[in-house]
Amino acid sequence: MTVIDCHAYLGAGKTWYGPQREVEYKLEALLERGAEAAIGRHCVMPARNETYSEANKLVADLCEKHTGKLIGFAAHSPQREAGRLARALTTEVKSMGLRGVRCDGPPTRELLDAVSDLHIPVMYYPTGDAWQQLGRFYHMPAMAYPTVDFIIPHIGQYCSWRWPPHIEAIDLAKRYRNVYLDMSGVGSFKYVEMAARELPSDKILFGTCAPEMDPRVGKEALRLLKLSHDHYAKVGGLNFQALISKHA
Amino acid sequence: MKPGFLTGALDPPMSALAGPSRRDFLIGAATGAAALAQPVSRPPVIDCHTHAGTASDLTAPWTTIADPKEILRRNKEAGIDKACIFPISHETFEEPNREIASIVARYPGRFIGFAKHDPANEAGRIRPMLLRECRELGLRGLKLHVRPTPEVLDTVAELGIPIIWHPRRVAMFDEVAKAYPAVDLILAHLGSDLSADWREHLAAIEMARRHPNIYLDTGAAVLSRYLEQAVNELGPERIVFGSDEPEVDCRLEIFKIRMLKLPKQQEQMILGGNLARLLAKYRAGAA
Repeated sequence: MTVIDCHAYLGAGKTWYGPQREVEYKLEALLERGAEAAIGRHCVMPARNETYSEANKLVADLCEKHTGKLIGFAAHSPQREAGRLARALTTEVKSMGLRGVRCDGPPTRELLDAVSDLHIPVMYYPTGDAWQQLGRFYHMPAMAYPTVDFIIPHIGQYCSWRWPPHIEAIDLAKRYRNVYLDMSGVGSFKYVEMAARELPSDKILFGTCAPEMDPRVGKEALRLLKLSHDHYAKVGGLNFQALISKHA
Repeated sequence: MKPGFLTGALDPPMSALAGPSRRDFLIGAATGAAALAQPVSRPPVIDCHTHAGTASDLTAPWTTIADPKEILRRNKEAGIDKACIFPISHETFEEPNREIASIVARYPGRFIGFAKHDPANEAGRIRPMLLRECRELGLRGLKLHVRPTPEVLDTVAELGIPIIWHPRRVAMFDEVAKAYPAVDLILAHLGSDLSADWREHLAAIEMARRHPNIYLDTGAAVLSRYLEQAVNELGPERIVFGSDEPEVDCRLEIFKIRMLKLPKQQEQMILGGNLARLLAKYRAGAA
């Protein structure tokens, strides 16, 4: 089976989480360590930017050149790019081949209407102090858009800086059929184990945050979950493949 | 390392311990000694940063419980021979440190006990407590979360034990390291717990470069790029493997060291050799 990393980055910008620093995520670094970890494909998205048309184009170009290795997500700020999201996203998905969207800010009706029409998944992680209210950002969108698939990165908390959001994220995935958890960038592995133990096998997606984080560590975490063959196949790629395959 | 260093010299005297019976202790100690007396093809792997025991607050994992049985299960899987254990969060530490000694005795040969103290809350009482904890209970190091006072540092220097300190800011190490050059200071989490601030990782590398008595504990550095940088810039001599079990999984933390693909001898220094050298400085003195 091909292992698919649902959460990786390419291109220039800033880190997604604070304290931010300038970065330029290189394809070579991603593929080299990804290959060492026996990861077949990476879903790549831009580093953090003010607006995303250029960054998305770069991601789409690289995905086209490395079709077998890369899958692309657009990124957008529903707040800073308001008014042009539907058009931009439709082009990026229908003409440029991107397969989902990473939300830089809380998803709005404008963004979710476009996503719903395109049948692509949305990845969103509340940043700043908003991590304290993970549910606040997910209950209403998940209920209002039951056909949109939402991916919560990091089992709810990047690097496990706080522990309660991990449990809240697991509860959200239990409550809503359309909420999924990505296991990238978790510092306290016991919450990944908790998610794997408590959630149905189709709810967790393997991810690494590469090349910001080392994909070899992410892959080792997947191994340490000691899943059955079928469960491993789902978490390792099939679940994500199913989410991105809804776009006709 | 001294021959037989890990075969009982670190285990506490029985008379001082609560918990397991004297008979249990002797059986366990004999079993552990026999196992360790067999030819060992590599130096022991030691995790310098593990919490164990119970607490009463129940407001967070680290004020509730750190179960040694769970830790041992993961240690075994990770190939860790011994772990330095110290208490989880408390206001004062006399009882929690006794609990640590009791856990060390319950699992002979598997744990090295460290005391923990709060230099502010326990001011004026630390010297007699720490002397007793090392000389009677067999503890061999000190874990701190706040800046050590002269009372703490003088006692630690007298005992020849290392301090593993998780500071609010790495900069706090500077004056202490300068004022007490003979005290070995292990800077926890490579300067930043769970990589909450990558700048503190860089500050930690810089601080260790400035002071030869500072060592960096690798535990819970989620951004492993800074671990690579620390090893590249400081060399393996100043890096000490740790995990922060049970909050952070030792199997992944040791994987990050092995992933560096260092020459065997260098990897062994990080995985236990350096710490064993620090622990061997213990001065028994009079009980």
